[in-house]
Amino acid sequence: MWGKSPLIKFLTTLLLFLTLEVISLSFISNESVFQQAKISGLVIKLNSLTYGFTSGVKYYFGLQNVNDMLVEENLRLLKENEALKTRIPPQESLSAQPSISAEYSYIPARIISNSTNKMHNYIILNKGRTHGVKKDMGVISSVGVVGVVSAVSERYSYVISFLNINQSVSAKISTSGAFGPMIWEGRRSDYALLKEIPFHIDFMVGDTVVTSGFSTLFPPNVPLGTVRRSSVTKGSYHDIQVKLFQNFNSLHYVNIVVNNNKDELDFIQRGSNGSVR
Amino acid sequence: MGRSGNIILFISFVITQITLSSLLDFGPLLFISVYPLFLLTRPANTSINSLLLWAFAMGMVVDYFTNSIMGINSAAALVMTLFQFRILRMVSRKGDFDSQVRPGLRELGLIRFVSYIVAALLIHHIVISLAESFGMAHFIYNLPRMLISLFVNTLIIMLIEFGVFYKNWR
Repeated sequence: MWGKSPLIKFLTTLLLFLTLEVISLSFISNESVFQQAKISGLVIKLNSLTYGFTSGVKYYFGLQNVNDMLVEENLRLLKENEALKTRIPPQESLSAQPSISAEYSYIPARIISNSTNKMHNYIILNKGRTHGVKKDMGVISSVGVVGVVSAVSERYSYVISFLNINQSVSAKISTSGAFGPMIWEGRRSDYALLKEIPFHIDFMVGDTVVTSGFSTLFPPNVPLGTVRRSSVTKGSYHDIQVKLFQNFNSLHYVNIVVNNNKDELDFIQRGSNGSVR
Repeated sequence: MGRSGNIILFISFVITQITLSSLLDFGPLLFISVYPLFLLTRPANTSINSLLLWAFAMGMVVDYFTNSIMGINSAAALVMTLFQFRILRMVSRKGDFDSQVRPGLRELGLIRFVSYIVAALLIHHIVISLAESFGMAHFIYNLPRMLISLFVNTLIIMLIEFGVFYKNWR
């Protein structure tokens, strides 16, 4: 009898288990590979519909903080502007050189959906292809890196948050200029780890960490956080714990970075060495 | 409990899971999973093959609606289901469960039921941790997360079991 034999029964169960498990695991591996994070327009649409309402309500309650932040940023920019004005003579102001366009421009966007409580966090923004957003653009705020655009629909874009264990940002210590990859360890949303800083580099607790600008995604010198403590790994590298300026839980407005020279840079890198990216 | 009853129970657990995991947000150190209670309290004479299918369906639906990585909950639920009978046999007296009895709090008693739930959830959470980081590399980092979640989920599951099923199930 086929159905009664315990061995056959055991094998069927095992086969069923393995089949279903393999399906599950292939789903996971499809999604967790960083560059392959594909999401269909339908899911984005559904999510934005569900979150549209709640984010609207949260938005109004958070306006007070946002205002404070904007005032602070305005003040900082004004000061910076004044400082810069004193440095260049008036006839060499920006309008004097119309032929050279700025290297980076920004598309402001509002966050519709944001998560901070997973190992792989994602953000949905209210700007999409019609606003000029493309795949693989960086996303920053005034106080740090937010993520990288991974998929775009007509009116929304899907961003892999920096709070994702697969994500890394090239960062440097502003005092010494030593650079290395900064990653999120998946434990707390306000700390990150700056790795591969050579042992002989000197730095102090409280030094500012900024983006290095060695990628086409993010402009240089975006403030990221401060050095909190460090440990030595493998005898030759510092692993530095960085307290982030960015509070991902109260993030509402971000800027999508458009690198105007990206095509040219990618072209020259492809031309010289196919694998450099 | 007919087939329609099972499906209604299934949907109720999905809704509970979605609501709780979107309401309770304490950062990356805690993930909520209450749907294992549905799988763990299937009647004792359910065949393991149909249980595996239930687990797969439940995991996939939960993954889809709670915005997590697709497949992660179903992978964990499948492994948990595979060990479920063995654990149940360990905690229950011999011959207790050869019929349509639901292995719940009323039937097992408090201590046996809690150990049943904790053992099964532990397997479930370990698999989730492993699948999330795809390897052992982050396992030590994940340990506090796993233990906190295990504690909270056991608590919530006990509350649901006591409040909803303990008295009404005759």
